[in-house]
Amino acid sequence: MTAQYDATAAMEIVNANAPGAACVDAGILFLEPERLVEAIEALRDSEESDLIFLSNLTAVDQELYFEIVYHLQSLDLNHILQIKARVTDREDPALPSLTGLFHGAHLQEREVYDLFGIRFEGHPDLRRMFLWDGFPGYPLRKDFLQMPGQVRAGLPGFPHESEENAWPVPGSVPQRPMHPNDPQPEGELVVAEEGEESS
Amino acid sequence: MTTADDTRLAMQGTIEALTTGDGSEPVVVNLGPQHPSTHGVFRLKVTLDGEIVQDAEMRIGYLHRSMEKLAEERTYTQNIPFTDRIDYLAAMSNNLAYCLAAEELLGVEVPPRANAIRVMFAELQRVASHAMANGTFINDCGAWHTPLFHMFRDRERVLDMFEMTCGARLTTNYMRIGGVAFDLPDELLPTLEQFLADMPENIANYEALLLENEILHARARGIGVISPEMAINSSLSGPVLRATGVPWDLRKANPYCGYEDYEFDVPVGEQGDCFDRFLVRMAEVKESLRILRQVVDNLPDGPWLADVPLHARPEPGESYARVESPRGELGFYLVSDGGPAPYRFHCRPPSLINLTALKEMSIGGTLADAIVTLGSIDIVVGEIDR
Repeated sequence: MTAQYDATAAMEIVNANAPGAACVDAGILFLEPERLVEAIEALRDSEESDLIFLSNLTAVDQELYFEIVYHLQSLDLNHILQIKARVTDREDPALPSLTGLFHGAHLQEREVYDLFGIRFEGHPDLRRMFLWDGFPGYPLRKDFLQMPGQVRAGLPGFPHESEENAWPVPGSVPQRPMHPNDPQPEGELVVAEEGEESS
Repeated sequence: MTTADDTRLAMQGTIEALTTGDGSEPVVVNLGPQHPSTHGVFRLKVTLDGEIVQDAEMRIGYLHRSMEKLAEERTYTQNIPFTDRIDYLAAMSNNLAYCLAAEELLGVEVPPRANAIRVMFAELQRVASHAMANGTFINDCGAWHTPLFHMFRDRERVLDMFEMTCGARLTTNYMRIGGVAFDLPDELLPTLEQFLADMPENIANYEALLLENEILHARARGIGVISPEMAINSSLSGPVLRATGVPWDLRKANPYCGYEDYEFDVPVGEQGDCFDRFLVRMAEVKESLRILRQVVDNLPDGPWLADVPLHARPEPGESYARVESPRGELGFYLVSDGGPAPYRFHCRPPSLINLTALKEMSIGGTLADAIVTLGSIDIVVGEIDR
């Protein structure tokens, strides 16, 4: 079975080569975006971690920040490590490209750029991949468009269709709308008293 | 005053310039999006110097259906049919990978019979998908449809078995979170027994027809070569990686659904060229039949679906599950925020990532070789674009 590589051991390898570039929170390794390349290079070249195979690269829009998720695999030692990096700038999110380390990051980074609008600095061919140049917006962002039946807020239409369809003011942090699973505010529910007819 | 010799020398220089490419303009040729050799709506923009490929750039997105966005607004069970349409030639493997990721999030225990049925259909799917891959590859090499239709007879029988089990042939939607949708029908096992009895002879026929074929050797040997180091660095997986000699198979490395209980080998190639990819796929069909034999002989009784609520709400968290699909390492990365639908649904598509090295494989060869290389990677455009 493929073992999960210990995040603390990985943090020690990274911090020996790039002090302060890594930290561990709840068993997950987080890297500083500015020092991502040297940190992952240390993990790739270290004999203990030997993470030579970039299995997966994707992003998650967590609304207050973008989370870039890497899954790195060692073929000989058969373990996998999940690495995350966070970018808070929504107006022009950017972080270094891994294409210098892994050729396999090419198309995966282009996909993230296409669908999330996250720039990978140093990528040799960063263009839109599935959508055409000039497509308005980045679809996998949570504030892209209001989909039918969607519980989260989004735009009612594309920005070029009406002036009212404008994304949140650049630089402002979008507010996460109320989700049905969130703790409900107290005191708003009116519970019928015993004997009283509820409306 | 020019002499005849000067004229002759000047003409010779022009001819040399035209044939060696010095001073001549490169020609850009668009293969696709509607072209029989691109296996779907996929465009390859090739820059040619004479017959030699200088640059190959792919343009994709013609089949983009925004599945990852749509899946964020549907429940975990409602998302299973989407996975059929990601890779429509290996729907069972895609169902399986997604269900494994959802089960990891939900902490569901799958009954043993369901695991055996899943292995059975994943391997049948591999036989069908490799029949398609090898058949179209031979087609690209110039054998006009005869081997393709021989292999399609086997694929047809597999699809018949899918139809009798779940009613659909291509987009099966058969796996469920916690097991499979239906138990095996009574007529399936006799049909499968007959299939397993007939297949060794069919494979022997294909091997007699193709393995020594001079034209196939000339078209595929030494074409589209990639080194093992470059293949690992490019995140290639599946038969394309194994053809370079790297024995990386998730069924062995990270067994799921009880693959550790079955005996099978991981076939690898030696040279990492198109012919080795073809050989690896042929050998994998034989290994799949070996696994199928063991599944049929040790099929456990019992329930085939665990008790999972239809509108399951997993705890906030994330999961990344991978299977060895016919095309390579197929992964699903799910993020849950505690709601009824996944907060993020990502598919790690082996077809797309295997194309990373297409440019390196094609440059320096002829245009005809680039088509053979593309055929040997075995892409499914639905999975590339999603």
